[in-house]
Amino acid sequence: MLEQTHRQARLRFNAPGVLRQTLPYAVALGIAFALAGIFIHLMGYDVLRAYQTILFTSFRSANSFVQTILKFIPVTLLALAFTVPFAAGKYNIGGEGQMIVGATGATVIGILLRDEPAILVLPLALVTGVLFGAIWGLIPAWLLLKFRIHEILTTTLFNFISYSIIDYIATEIWRDPVAGHPTTIPIGDSAWLPLVVRNPPLHSGIVLALLIAAAVWVYMTRTTGGYEMVATGANPEASKIFGIKTSRMFMLSLVIGGALAGLAGAVEVEGYQHRLIVGLQSNFLQLGLITGLIAKGNNFAVPFVAFFIAMLEVGASAMQRTMQIPVEFVFIVEALVLLCVLLSDVVRRREWIRSSVR
Amino acid sequence: MDPFLGQVISFARLVMESMVPFVLAAQGTMLAGRTGLFNVAQEGMMLVGASLGFLVAYQTGSQLTGILVAAGVGGGFALLLAYLTTTLKMNQFVIGIALFFSGVGISTLLPKLAIGVTLMQPLIPTLVDIPLPLVSRIPVLGPVMFSQNAMVYFSILISILLWWFLYKTKIGRDLRAVGENPMAADTMGINVTLVRYAATIAGGLLIGLAGVYLPLVYTGTFTEGMVRGRGFIAIALTFFGGWSPIPIFYGSLFFAAVEVLAYRLQVGASHIPYQFLQILPYIATILVMMFSFYKSPVPRFLGENYDREKRSQT
Repeated sequence: MLEQTHRQARLRFNAPGVLRQTLPYAVALGIAFALAGIFIHLMGYDVLRAYQTILFTSFRSANSFVQTILKFIPVTLLALAFTVPFAAGKYNIGGEGQMIVGATGATVIGILLRDEPAILVLPLALVTGVLFGAIWGLIPAWLLLKFRIHEILTTTLFNFISYSIIDYIATEIWRDPVAGHPTTIPIGDSAWLPLVVRNPPLHSGIVLALLIAAAVWVYMTRTTGGYEMVATGANPEASKIFGIKTSRMFMLSLVIGGALAGLAGAVEVEGYQHRLIVGLQSNFLQLGLITGLIAKGNNFAVPFVAFFIAMLEVGASAMQRTMQIPVEFVFIVEALVLLCVLLSDVVRRREWIRSSVR
Repeated sequence: MDPFLGQVISFARLVMESMVPFVLAAQGTMLAGRTGLFNVAQEGMMLVGASLGFLVAYQTGSQLTGILVAAGVGGGFALLLAYLTTTLKMNQFVIGIALFFSGVGISTLLPKLAIGVTLMQPLIPTLVDIPLPLVSRIPVLGPVMFSQNAMVYFSILISILLWWFLYKTKIGRDLRAVGENPMAADTMGINVTLVRYAATIAGGLLIGLAGVYLPLVYTGTFTEGMVRGRGFIAIALTFFGGWSPIPIFYGSLFFAAVEVLAYRLQVGASHIPYQFLQILPYIATILVMMFSFYKSPVPRFLGENYDREKRSQT
């Protein structure tokens, strides 16, 4: 018995195992691109050129590669903001709102303490952003535990509340009168994230995002806390019987999710925009959800999928510029990839049932 | 007429008019939920209904065609939801979330494909009010209740009809049984899969209608994200109304009143920053949920797929 589990554990790391893990993804990708290609062809565009643009733009110049990384950072963090609560069986759809309040927190510090030294302001702004995001995750968690309100509802409603908050700050409190779009005045440069590459400029948020992604993976797979969280998601009743404080796990998972999205907002302000712009969250919530779901909640896979999604996004905007194909087209591709990945699970489950019956 | 009374009448009229998307989306959610299928894709489905319905109405010049197509696309999304969850046994929330953001994405893509980016917003005529003969002349009640657009009447009728269907007919009782205890329903010879499909698709039609109401009555055009959380408020509403048609109808009136009040204050009280008033409906929703969620009688198998071959069901 023990021998057998050992063998299984070893099997999981050998080549056929890896193949079995990645093959469904490859097939799903192929099918999705073929379907989307038919669609693009029917709309009267050149499919081959469209796909070349989508897939290779990110690697054509240093500049577009940095653009891809700049998208990769918030997509990764927002995907983790979904997958961590997802592991505990909770659905955080509030990444957008948590990102906005995180960005707001960083901006408040960046503007109020603009004359203080960077060694104080930089970490303080980041921490404030994380804290704001965490609070935006804590309230839905509290409403869930105390009043049993489903977290899908509260997290989304808090998105809409945060739209008004960012709008208020950018139009009433620190409005930049010369900007045409609702925008605050810039934060002091003591709150700017230092650059890791000077030309084209790439800020150190990438280091932060990679470290956080690794830390999340280690926490969820290699620590007791993470194990308890995953167990809670897999079977809350059984976990409770085994002495795991499941309600604490629910709350913790949503707070961590909020903190991660808050960090995404703070990094976006301190690294990239250097001011609070209404709409800075753009469609990162959707991209984060797509990434998290394509990765099937696997935190190890999240950064890889996030890079793929960021690549598609950068390719799609190039496609819009050169071929006049609306940038939202790439969304069809992403949705199809997700659908195929989800369906591959069904196929595998059926095969598993068939083989176990035999 | 007394100016105060005039104010009250115009307020009540607006509430009746704004209630429609809430009523339709919430009744649609309720219908599927009563069979145990918890739809959380309303926001996306409403956006696609609004977007496609508007485009069809614009291109064909026929409001009715737009309305029907919007209902159809809502039904199509619901069919996909039912297939992936009921037949393929995928997680209802995962699929719901995926359909939600797919809807958001498709709703912004469609106008760009069909019309492209234009300087002038293309407009369609909005729905006209149809005063009903005789009853519309009753003072106060007439202008509030009986001289509204057709979809206001429809949403009142559908609420009553759903109540009658769920509580007074055998099919309605079967439908409720599926959400309360699918195993028992299955042994009683009720086709659980069929009931779930039918209720979810019928609900999807209503949600699509709820979406197209926005361009047809409020704006005359489609704007990105114009549903503004109404889809999620509709879910809150079904809990608030205990998954029952008549309380859901009253709840919709309440949420519509909050929405109209917030809008009125934005126009009238200019010293309050409008951002504070914009969040009123969401705050109201959360407050209401705090007091109603606990007691809400929820279908027992809400959110659970039914697998005949599994022996123990939670």
